[in-house]
Amino acid sequence: MQTAVLLRRNLAYYWRTNLVVVCGVAVAVAVLAGALLVGDSVRASLRDLLLGRLGSTEQVITSAGFFREQLADEIQRDERFNASGFGVACPLIVLDGTLTHEASKRWASGVQVYGVDERFWQFHARENAGSATPRNREMLLGASLADDLGVATGDTLLLRIEKPSAIPVESLHGRKEDVGRTIRFNARERLDSSALGEFSLRLQQTSVRVVFVPLRLLQKELEQESRVNTILLSAQASGARQEMDTAPSTVALRSILKERVRLEDMGLKLRVLQEQRSLSLETESTLVNDSLAETASATAAKMGIRTLPLFSYLANNIRSGPPDIPYSLVAAIDEQTFENLRRVHASEGAPASSSSSSSPSSSQQLPPIILNDWAARELGIQTGAVVTLEYYLWQDGGRLLTQTADFQLAGIVPIEGIAADRDLVPEYPGITGAESLSDWDPPFPVDLSRIKDRDEEYWDKYRTTPKAFIPLAKGQELWPSRFGKLTSLRILPAAGAPLETALASYGETLRAALDPSQVGLVLYPVRAEGLKASRGATNFGEYFLYFSFFLVISAFMLAALFFKLGVEQRLREIGILQAIGFPASRIRTLFLIEGILLATMGSLLGLAGALLYGRLMMLGLTTWWVGAVGTTLLRLHVAPSSLALGGVGGVLAALVCIFWTLRRLAKASPRSMLTGTALSELNARRSDTTRQRRSYTFLIAIVLSVAALGLLLCSALGWISQVAGFFGGGSLLLVALLCHQAVWLRSRKRRMLGGSGLWSVVRLGFRNVAHRSVRSVLCIALIASAAFIIVAVDSFKRDDRNSTLDRKSGGGGFALLAESALPLVHDPNTTEGREALNLVGEQTTNSLDGLSFARFRVRPGDDASCLNLYQPRNPRILAPTDDFLSSNRFGFQDSLSSTKEEQENPWLLLDKDTTDGAIPVIADANSLSYVLHLKLGDELTLEREGGKPLRLRIVGALSDTIFQSELLMSEKNFLRHFPEQEGYRFFLLDAPRDSTATAKLLEAQLSDFGFDVTSTAERLASFHRVENTFISTFQMLGALGLALGTLGMAAVLLRNVLERRRELALLRAVGYNAKHFALMTVAENAMLLCCGLLTGTACALLAIAPVFFSRGKGLPNFSLGLLLLLVLISGLLASLVATLAALRSPLIPALRSE
Amino acid sequence: MLEVANLSKEYPTPQGGLSILEDVSLSLTRGESVAIMGPSGSGKSTLLYILGALEPPSAGSVRLDGQDPFQLKERELAAFRNQEIGFIFQDHCLLPQCSVIENVLTPTLVAKADGHEAETRARSLLEQVGLAGRIEHRPAELSGGEKQRVALARALVMRPLLLLCDEPTGNLDHKSADVVASLLLELHRQQETILIVVTHSAELAARFPVRYELLERRLKSKDE
Repeated sequence: MQTAVLLRRNLAYYWRTNLVVVCGVAVAVAVLAGALLVGDSVRASLRDLLLGRLGSTEQVITSAGFFREQLADEIQRDERFNASGFGVACPLIVLDGTLTHEASKRWASGVQVYGVDERFWQFHARENAGSATPRNREMLLGASLADDLGVATGDTLLLRIEKPSAIPVESLHGRKEDVGRTIRFNARERLDSSALGEFSLRLQQTSVRVVFVPLRLLQKELEQESRVNTILLSAQASGARQEMDTAPSTVALRSILKERVRLEDMGLKLRVLQEQRSLSLETESTLVNDSLAETASATAAKMGIRTLPLFSYLANNIRSGPPDIPYSLVAAIDEQTFENLRRVHASEGAPASSSSSSSPSSSQQLPPIILNDWAARELGIQTGAVVTLEYYLWQDGGRLLTQTADFQLAGIVPIEGIAADRDLVPEYPGITGAESLSDWDPPFPVDLSRIKDRDEEYWDKYRTTPKAFIPLAKGQELWPSRFGKLTSLRILPAAGAPLETALASYGETLRAALDPSQVGLVLYPVRAEGLKASRGATNFGEYFLYFSFFLVISAFMLAALFFKLGVEQRLREIGILQAIGFPASRIRTLFLIEGILLATMGSLLGLAGALLYGRLMMLGLTTWWVGAVGTTLLRLHVAPSSLALGGVGGVLAALVCIFWTLRRLAKASPRSMLTGTALSELNARRSDTTRQRRSYTFLIAIVLSVAALGLLLCSALGWISQVAGFFGGGSLLLVALLCHQAVWLRSRKRRMLGGSGLWSVVRLGFRNVAHRSVRSVLCIALIASAAFIIVAVDSFKRDDRNSTLDRKSGGGGFALLAESALPLVHDPNTTEGREALNLVGEQTTNSLDGLSFARFRVRPGDDASCLNLYQPRNPRILAPTDDFLSSNRFGFQDSLSSTKEEQENPWLLLDKDTTDGAIPVIADANSLSYVLHLKLGDELTLEREGGKPLRLRIVGALSDTIFQSELLMSEKNFLRHFPEQEGYRFFLLDAPRDSTATAKLLEAQLSDFGFDVTSTAERLASFHRVENTFISTFQMLGALGLALGTLGMAAVLLRNVLERRRELALLRAVGYNAKHFALMTVAENAMLLCCGLLTGTACALLAIAPVFFSRGKGLPNFSLGLLLLLVLISGLLASLVATLAALRSPLIPALRSE
Repeated sequence: MLEVANLSKEYPTPQGGLSILEDVSLSLTRGESVAIMGPSGSGKSTLLYILGALEPPSAGSVRLDGQDPFQLKERELAAFRNQEIGFIFQDHCLLPQCSVIENVLTPTLVAKADGHEAETRARSLLEQVGLAGRIEHRPAELSGGEKQRVALARALVMRPLLLLCDEPTGNLDHKSADVVASLLLELHRQQETILIVVTHSAELAARFPVRYELLERRLKSKDE
């Protein structure tokens, strides 16, 4: 007989035991590979979701402002465009908005608005692009948005969007009240995801709210004819889309963009000033930022052209004593030009006046000012007089202040030359185009009654010609703006050079010198970056491996136990093989091959199970545990590599178990195996050392108990943290109790069995637990550890019942949280601010009485919380005002505080200057650990197009707060690094009254801003739902593992039963019936289960006691108790299997000794 | 009184029924004892297990004090064995996790017996078998002869009518076997049980007044 035949016979003959081994391995492999599949599936689903939502989009060009629609055609026509792998360029407008269903008044914020034409649908290779495109006032809605609002075809919808303004809202000339625009549309069609109904350039797994509206209409409404703010770029071939590394294409595209972009696309204006024989470089924002000014000056310098920096401002009043001049433009010019102006006209006539309000001697330290002769005449002053300028200053905090500055009149100049240059002032909407002063419509209050006829005459004759000149440095000091320190740059070509030629050459050189990203025109490889991010912030495969830990261990234990059982059943066979001359190595190999075959079979079966397990987990994630992922769009993706890894891992682990079993049996003698006493012999060897071991174990138990009590005492006395003390104490106590139980089980001193009846039989069952004390202690330890972890983990569940109104709670004591679609620049805490925001009226005022707002600036970015499955690469940043920082609200888990003040208020760390240029930021500890994977002191580099990468250093970790989606930065640093982000869009509200009514009122009153109010408790709960769902998942899979572990315990019992079948047969012979056996085995199993469950649960409850008490929680929840009860019941049921086996074992052979 | 009439036992095999016992009849009254001898495989143990109601016969009947145990339900049969029959096996079959006295008390745990009285009796029996000083010991700490004496005490603790012994001295040395045999017969005499011993040992069998031999499936008197 060949070995193969022997193997086949063995496998077939012992098929029952082998089947259980195969099943055990199968379960372990199914769980292992299944967990890996879950990870693969989440990653692949995110990837699919991203690719589905991007459509054909490969890269995208976006701009903070608007640029020529034609730029898209010009880029596409460039011969390098196709050569570098790109296919089509599609211009569109992308905005955020708020949509209201007119009939139902239901509304939705965070709506992604796309102004598109036929090119958009052609870009995405949709058939019937013409008919797909919305026309006139038609709107196409994404399915989820249409469902949310209950929109039907033909319904009227009101879209509220931010009105683009080149002039910064937070500058004097920015329009602050009229920041939005409402447009009426009719719903035409509901688009599902396959019809681009979820088109999005953003990374989010949750459903997106999308509307498509006609591009032309949107351009008209926004007063941006033929202009867009986005260009989509597709890859030439679908294959190219799969490429992760798009760097070559990006480089080429950046080059094309740089060459094709015009100054006007970057919001720049370069014009010829014939009279002044110069060029003027201005911006649509009216302010030239430092970077642009530097590039423009450097470019001119390289070309040998002089430049003249200019900064003009509006003075509400120029006065010197009672006479005053209302609303005059003042030009700040460089020192040299200023001195030239004063020197040239110093001797020229100025009217004498006696009305000087101050003596020259008292104003010696005042900065100089030059007035034109008209102004000097109006004021009736002469050189040396003190002149006061009164002007508005818009503060970043959202207030318009009236400030004054005193000057000494250094000269009076006639209105000629530069003093007659009305182009020194850029175009201010509402001012420069006005026919008369009375027609002014500036975005700040003006008192038209102050305007006299002479002022009108000046306007008629000289328009924006400045009436006063001051040195540039002084102007920049008086009228600071984060948007720029100049209003224009005068380019002065060499004398005689044709201006048109200069315009062309300087314009082209400047354009070439400018990086489009420097002025906000950004190229973003959206697909490549998205694919990187879709690897996910959370490795679900890893998580599910942890979650399934007990399930895997239990399954392997089951397989190992049954394999061992199978081998032990065949000890005589081994003895016979040895007796007839089989070498021990050959026998081991025989069993090892059997083991390999069984493990392989189990593994193959397990792979099928993995698909089922993976599918079940994905089903769970999209239904029961949807709170953890926030999307139902996850699908099972089968990665062969994960299956192979799980399969091979399963086989290897099973083989380790098998090898361990065979190794132990190698110690038994052939004779003992032949006579069937091998196990007794092995156990006898073990029992030789029992007494010694018991002593050691007892010693360990005592030491651990003392250590546990010591930790608890230290914790109670406040010497160590409660959590560390109790958790450490609980864990040590668990081990100590297990040691105590081991000692107890090995103890000889027990109350004598006696009496009669069922209780006596139960006691006999209990006594059996001591029979194989090591085995029993292992069972108890496994169950106790699992119960400990499952119960202890419950303490990590977040409790939403706690008030968020405590200033150190997760809500910081704020009742409400609000986000606005449009920025609020006015301070709603002030009377003026509330008036400006239309929070007026008796009822409103009363309702809002006592309400205070903490305001935050926002730099939009990726959600850094557990609500976002994608890896945040560019986290959202919030910047609170200084008031908020000093209010010291919210609790910190840890910080880099070094001083007492910082320790008391870690928010102060945000304002701390770092020596190495890193910007201090604070984040929530949960986001840091689980999403950003950062710790205190770590740095996060924020890549910025057109700017240096920004190094953000984590200086504080908040403790479970509402700030889990973002990083927090000081307002000072925020304004310095993100000057383009205007106004405040995030608010925390202290609402002393009915917060629900307050929320409704604010949403109604500030609906124009898309003000969306929610409770801080709800926001916190949304984060907690994710964490709690993960914990529930862990508990459920852990309990499943525990339940499977109880099957393993049944296997232990079965082994006990088979080992003791002669004893049990004797018991049957002396009158024990089936009921007695059932009672005995169930009692035995129940004791193991109860010891394990009670030990684990009690220690866990002790370990987590501080958490429960600090949160005011009761005992762990009902479902957890139910879970443990189910484990107990399943364990008891499993023990009945052992009973049946005992009853079915043949009686006579067991009693016979031969 | 034990009445065995026309007892037969067949085991089914693929080749048809394999007959072990044929037409065995036996009648014994309280206080009587017999030894049954026979070669290996002759069916001695099978006869013993049938008499002990552990295995049903293929034909014939067994009645103990007029009661046919094979007519009883499973639970009643277990109780019957507990109350009426005592077993001693070649391998003592003691519970290793229980002490000597607990092993003796094992049958009383499932009986409707007075616990205190049972313990007193167990102690008395252990004293009679010479193990009074070893009652707290575990089986692993006893010699083979001592283990068998514990098994003897356990077999008698319920005051059975029928005491069945399967090679009770088979695993013992000569001296221990002699001690166990003496104790067995002495206690049988004291308890007035019906004692049936199956053995290979001619020496043991010689100590019994009545001896049978199982030959060719039938029970024959050795004394005839």
